[in-house]
Order: sequence, then C-alpha cells, then structure tokens
Amino acid sequence: MTITVASGKGGAGKTSLAAALAASVGSSCIVADCDVDAANGAIALHARLRESGPYFAGPGYRIEPSLCIGCGRCMPACRFNAIRTDKTRRTYLIAEELCERCGACTDHCPVDAIQGFTKEAGRLSVSDCPLGMTLIHAELVPGEDTSGKLVNQVRRRADTINPGNAIIIVDAPPGIGCPVIASLSGADIVLLVVDSTISGLRDSLRLSELAAGMDKRIIAIINKTGLDEEIDNKIRVAMTQSSIPVMGEIPFDPLLRSVEEKDLTWIDVAGEAGLKAKAAVRAVLEYAQMQMIY
Amino acid sequence: MKAVPQELVIAVASGKGGTGKTSLAAHLALAGAARLRTILVDLDVEAPDSLAYFPEAIRVGRNCPVSLKVPFLIPESCSGCGACAKACHFGAIVALGGAVTIDQKLCKGCGRCVFLCPENALKERGIVVGQTRLMKSGSLDILEGRMDVGDIRSTSVIEAAKTRAASLKKEVQVRDCPPGVSCPATHAVEGADYVVLVAEPTAFSLHDLSAAISLVKGQGLKAGVVINKYGFGDADIESLCREKALPVIGRIEFKRKRASSGASGKLWTDDGSYMQKIDEILKRIVHAVETDEGELG
Repeated sequence: MTITVASGKGGAGKTSLAAALAASVGSSCIVADCDVDAANGAIALHARLRESGPYFAGPGYRIEPSLCIGCGRCMPACRFNAIRTDKTRRTYLIAEELCERCGACTDHCPVDAIQGFTKEAGRLSVSDCPLGMTLIHAELVPGEDTSGKLVNQVRRRADTINPGNAIIIVDAPPGIGCPVIASLSGADIVLLVVDSTISGLRDSLRLSELAAGMDKRIIAIINKTGLDEEIDNKIRVAMTQSSIPVMGEIPFDPLLRSVEEKDLTWIDVAGEAGLKAKAAVRAVLEYAQMQMIY
Repeated sequence: MKAVPQELVIAVASGKGGTGKTSLAAHLALAGAARLRTILVDLDVEAPDSLAYFPEAIRVGRNCPVSLKVPFLIPESCSGCGACAKACHFGAIVALGGAVTIDQKLCKGCGRCVFLCPENALKERGIVVGQTRLMKSGSLDILEGRMDVGDIRSTSVIEAAKTRAASLKKEVQVRDCPPGVSCPATHAVEGADYVVLVAEPTAFSLHDLSAAISLVKGQGLKAGVVINKYGFGDADIESLCREKALPVIGRIEFKRKRASSGASGKLWTDDGSYMQKIDEILKRIVHAVETDEGELG
C-alpha cells in the first residue's frame, strides 16, 4: 500500500504530515522522500544515515575550447538558446542552466568539439529513524535537471526494501511537473494537503486534476484552518464538489511548526492542533485499511 | 560603478515552497510600479498564484499559447532503422522490430530525431503545453505563465514567459519563481540581475536555503536574503547568510493578522510599516545592482 502526500503548493505541510503519518504507522513503515530539490524528510524524522550512493544523470555537454574552430553551426541547432558566443564570434560555450541535454548540437559540429560528460547529480540515501521506520531520500545537486529520474530511483529503492506488506509513504514535491508525476505513479491513495489559503486551494485543484487524470483515489486534509473562515469554507465546498473526502482539518498553530526541532511529530503536540492532526492521520490510516481489505 | 541595466530583472526565489515568494514578489512589483514601468512575471508555471492577489486585474492583449514543435511519423517513408530512437535522450521514441512509436508527451522538441532521420520520415507540428496571459492592475502589468495540467514541459512555458516579458520592455521586472533547485527554478532565475531568496526561520527552510544559495552561486548571480515570518521559529538563517557571505536585505516579522489576510489573497498595501520594509528592500536591490554588493565568490 502506497500513500502519496502531495499538495501542488509548497509549504502546505506535506513533509510534516508525512512524518506524522509514518509515526502513526510505526516501525514497519517505509518513507520515500521524493522532494529531491528540498529534501526535509530526514530533518522531520531525525533520521540517521545508513547508506548513501551517488546518482548520475544523463550526459551534459560542453564545448572543448581547444577543438572548437568557431564555425558557429551548433548555435542554430540548439532550440533552447543555450549556446552563447562573444562579440568576436570565435568562441562558443554552452550555458548549462539553459541546456536541455538533447545533444542536437553534437550532430552539427564538424570537428567533434562538443563532448558529453556525466557527473554526480545527486545522492540516494537510506536512513534509519529513531521511531523505527526506514527513510529513503535523495538530494539533487542544485542546478541539475533530472529530478524526475531521481524520484523514480527513490521509489524503486523503497519498493525493493519493502518486505511485501509495508505501508510506503511518499512525500511528493510541490508543483505538478515530472517529479510530481513520478511521485504519484503507483500510488494507491493520494493524500492531498490543502493549505487553507487562496493559493492552496488553486494549487490543490490543479494537483487533484492531475491525480484524477491518472485514475488515483484522492483524499484530503485541510491544513492551517482558522486564518480566514471564508477561505476555509470555500475549500470545504470545493472538496465536496470534486468528491474528495476530507479526513480532517488541522488549525493553524505555531506549536506544530516547533516540533520540527524536537524528536516529535505533529501527533505528539498537546492542544487542539495536535489532537486534530492525530485524528486526521488516524482517519487516513483507517481509510487506507479499508482500501486494503476491499 | 556598474551601468544600470535598461530593465532591472529581480527574481524572487527560495528552495522551500511556502516561504512567501508570491506575496513578496507582488509587493515588490507594486513598490516598483509606484515610480517605474513595472511588470510582475509569474514563472511558477506549475502553480501560478500571483494573480490571486489581483482579483480586479483586467486582461490586456491576447492569451498566447506556448507551443512546441514535436515530431510525427510518415509511416510510408520510415525504414524502421531506429536512428531517431537512439538519438532521443528523453525516451520519447521507441523503435521495436522496425516499428517506431513516438510519445509526444515526453518530447522536449529538440528536433534532433527529425534532423537525423535518413529517410525524412519525421515531420513536425506544434502542440500546446501551456499559455501566457497578460493582465493589468492599475499601473502594474502582470504576465502569468501557466503549464497545462498533465504536461511536464514547465521550462518551455517559463522560457516563453521570459521572452514575452522581455518584449514588453519595462523598467522593472519582478519574477515570481518556482520552488526547488532543479530545472524550473534554474530557468526562472537565469538572466536575472538580482535574486531575492525568501527564507523563514525554520529548520526546513534553513536546509533548503542552503541549496538555493548553491544554485545562484553556480549561475554567478547576485543575491540577497529576505527573512520572512521573522520570529516564527528560531532556525538561524542569519548565521548561514554570514557563512555564505550573502547579505540579509530584509526582515519581515511574523504577524498572525498578516497570515490571516494573506490567506485570502489580500494585499498589505495599507500596512505602512510593511510597505516601508518593501521599499527598503527594493532600494537595497537597486543599490546592489549598481554596485558590487551581493556579488558571490
């Protein structure tokens, strides 16, 4: 059983909620932190590194200055405007931040001055959490562009170490792009974390449209309620209209934020917010159990 | 003294999502628009929310589809040699037993397969992956890039929005960038004169800010940090900035009242002390672009 926690919007509470879910499931649980751009699962779960290995992306390209004859044929071949030249038009170079790594330029270079290179684009790690669960996480080197591929590797590793019946909790990145699609694929349940703001509503509707298009079962938790009653209501109505069952609402409370710094998750927080987080998480797991039975 | 660019491009970015990029970008753009011709460009094309702050904005100009040239096969001409599949780095073409299948959803439109096909069996047609739309609120122009749901080509939409924004020739361009440190963020900050990294004093944000700093350093961009929700947590953003030799160009204190009105997309233009902070941040940015402040080693 795989539950993917996603939101569309960043900062909605995905990682903290994934940690709270994991803490409720207990030591048998596997957490896959798929936000490889901003991997905070290890912080939320106080994980200790067990093993770590390099991740290599596909080739990047560079123009070897000693071989380049300055003919400029590579430049129009690049549809991404990633090839630059100076005023003399004698030297050409590839702007890595714009390069899509298609290799089209190499087909046009008459002297083979454009060479592919591979480099370590990130690390894939397995860690142990004090609460007993296993965390698979990865970190992309900033500026690298193959986060979808790295997410696939995180997912595959989580599946490999699964003895067969464990609950896998996937913490998805924000947005609706390729790393998000890679996080949603294979999920039995998508848990939508709706930030109770106008942006949170807009982004969660885009995410739920994506997940629905992938035939996913979607449930929701509304986070940070109580800031604006009108927005809270709008979100409740929108969830009903989209036939997305709401498993719980968690009020905005700075107390929840502060548990990041301690050896705890949201379900350990005293007071209303903690109790509601605990109830919401329990409702999600009950829903998941029902799905497993049927 | 360095020459002031004709158009000052400010990119508002952060590693972590939800730190307050969109609201800071909106207010910075408003502060710019008070004196100069300014455009707010929403480059968070997977989750564009800048316009949520401007419900009264009116549309100016056409909505422009963002299209990409992708290949399709002329089966009569195809010899099944598989040169196209071998050339494609995106896994969009499969050649099995002489049969070529193209998945246009995975294609990035590089045109390599078309060029390399010895039989001229591949032609191209445009497909739409998103759109840009231009709106106006008072004197502020707002350009939104929006990727279609289910697509993965966010960078194409980001580049199209950057191109359209540049063609409008404003004096100030404020970009609302996507979170993260991979391709969408890389494309969104590219070409900026200054990058404002928005952080909040939490452990998560501290970790992600560090990655965002590496990203802007890698691109050789000038940058400064705004600590948003100041007092909301006690993660030490200031120490990280000192260690990375990055100036803190603003501190905006956390107020529940602000969080409440921000939730519904209300602007804080009535909040004098807030707008004064925004003005100061903008001044710091202009000063930094004119001089060497914030230059990263």
